[in-house]
Amino acid sequence: MAGITDLGVGIGWRSEIDLTVERLPGVDFVEVVAENLHGDVQRGHLPESVRLLLERGIPVLPHAVSLSLGGADPVDLTRVEHLGEVAEAVGAPMVSDHVCFVRAGGLDSGHLMPVPRTKDALDVLVANVRLAQQNLPVPLALENVAALLEWPDGELSEGQFLAELVERTDCWLLVDVANLYANARNIGTDPERFLDEIPLERLAYVHVAGGVDHGDVYHDTHAHAVLPEVLGVLDELCSRVSPPGVLLERDDNYPSDSEIASELAAIRAVVDAHRG
Amino acid sequence: MVTPMTAQTTQLSAEQAGYLTAGPGRAAETALARLIDAGLVRVSRDGLVSAVHQTNHGATTPVEARLLNHARAAVRFDAILQSTATSTEMTQLHEHLLGRGLMQRPRRRSPAWVFSLGVAVFLVFLGFSTPAFFIGVPIALLFFVWQRGRGAVTKAGKEVLRQVTASDRVHAVALYGFAGKVSGHKVGDLFDLSQSVVKMIPLKKKHRSSSDGGGCGSASSCSSCGSGCGSSSSSCSSGSSCSSGGSSCGGGCGGGGGGD
Repeated sequence: MAGITDLGVGIGWRSEIDLTVERLPGVDFVEVVAENLHGDVQRGHLPESVRLLLERGIPVLPHAVSLSLGGADPVDLTRVEHLGEVAEAVGAPMVSDHVCFVRAGGLDSGHLMPVPRTKDALDVLVANVRLAQQNLPVPLALENVAALLEWPDGELSEGQFLAELVERTDCWLLVDVANLYANARNIGTDPERFLDEIPLERLAYVHVAGGVDHGDVYHDTHAHAVLPEVLGVLDELCSRVSPPGVLLERDDNYPSDSEIASELAAIRAVVDAHRG
Repeated sequence: MVTPMTAQTTQLSAEQAGYLTAGPGRAAETALARLIDAGLVRVSRDGLVSAVHQTNHGATTPVEARLLNHARAAVRFDAILQSTATSTEMTQLHEHLLGRGLMQRPRRRSPAWVFSLGVAVFLVFLGFSTPAFFIGVPIALLFFVWQRGRGAVTKAGKEVLRQVTASDRVHAVALYGFAGKVSGHKVGDLFDLSQSVVKMIPLKKKHRSSSDGGGCGSASSCSSCGSGCGSSSSSCSSGSSCSSGGSSCGGGCGGGGGGD
């Protein structure tokens, strides 16, 4: 895919830390949550900070959270259209969302819900992804989610499920290593098996985020420091493939500029260690 | 990076200087300035203020602690200044300044002061034509002066305030507000605040009935008042010129305490 072969190390742009993102050294690309950009984006009405980053030549990638591609409901094409408008407004080479559903029967979950890993659910997901792709101006990447439960009667592992999704839709993969760690902790999945099973040549980029233990459960909060164990999963991934990009997600409880810079530096160190 | 606080020989903190200069709103601005300076809060381009840590660690005054606590979730620049200006902690700061004799309960200007001015002028003219009426002139003038009210800052307060200088960016906020200027530079620029954020600070609304400690109108009001007078703070500190002119500033800058 042209234009995203070497994104580098980036951070999720959030309005609360816009000046921080602008000031941070070594930010190679940013991601914006598409649903957070309101208004007339197709006419270039973007936040001033995002415009400044674009003027500096920093790629801005829209990331969606509401397409609900794993849901049984028909895809809401107005949401797809908005995502496409954001992509065009920022000149993005690709967009992304999650392998999940966020609404059903008119109710919003407020959470990224895992999809049952059955052949039937895969058929629904594939149909929805294809419809979204037909209505998007740029390629679509899909991200693995953190799950606190597994639906019964699963027929495929998560890696097999995503591999088949890629094969049937030609979508790209956005691998969240923090979600892999969370699933290993909470539902006992194996990150290495996941990495063995997915087509790494279709890796668009990688997410890294922090979380916190709450009793026996690990919460992928995006509001705490990145654990060394999560960087360990990133290290495992980098030992298999050189990721086009790695992005730090922080959504709340924003630490100081220097702490964020340290987390980015730690991520870069893992990536660079495998590039020799 | 934290600005080294210049050791000033006054016994006033920057926050207290801000209160004396222009009331609770200015003190709130000063507390926010100190926290930004210390890297404990950040302000976004859109004016979202958020605490860097989820504790009150680093706060040096109750007002700062209150502000930090409020900023744990991102809050608009103007909203946090208003809530801080009207907080219990700000009232306590006011009480502290009263206790030190740096402020006094202001006597508000009577709404009828224009009428009494008219009576005084009438009596002066009457006195010229009929000397027997001269006895009424000083009485009318005294009544007029009493009705003009008195400022919130005492002579002692003005004295210590006169020793405060804008020696660092936090004190610049105390004396001139984010919307003011120091040495030709916009104070907001010293904190990388965009003008759209600085303009969120509401302008003064005329109202004379706010209770002690100030209502927020006084808060915001004072920033506009402060910046207006700030350009000549020495004359403000000396008092009468600003306070007499500050019809839109209530007690006036010299009178400090804005809405107090």
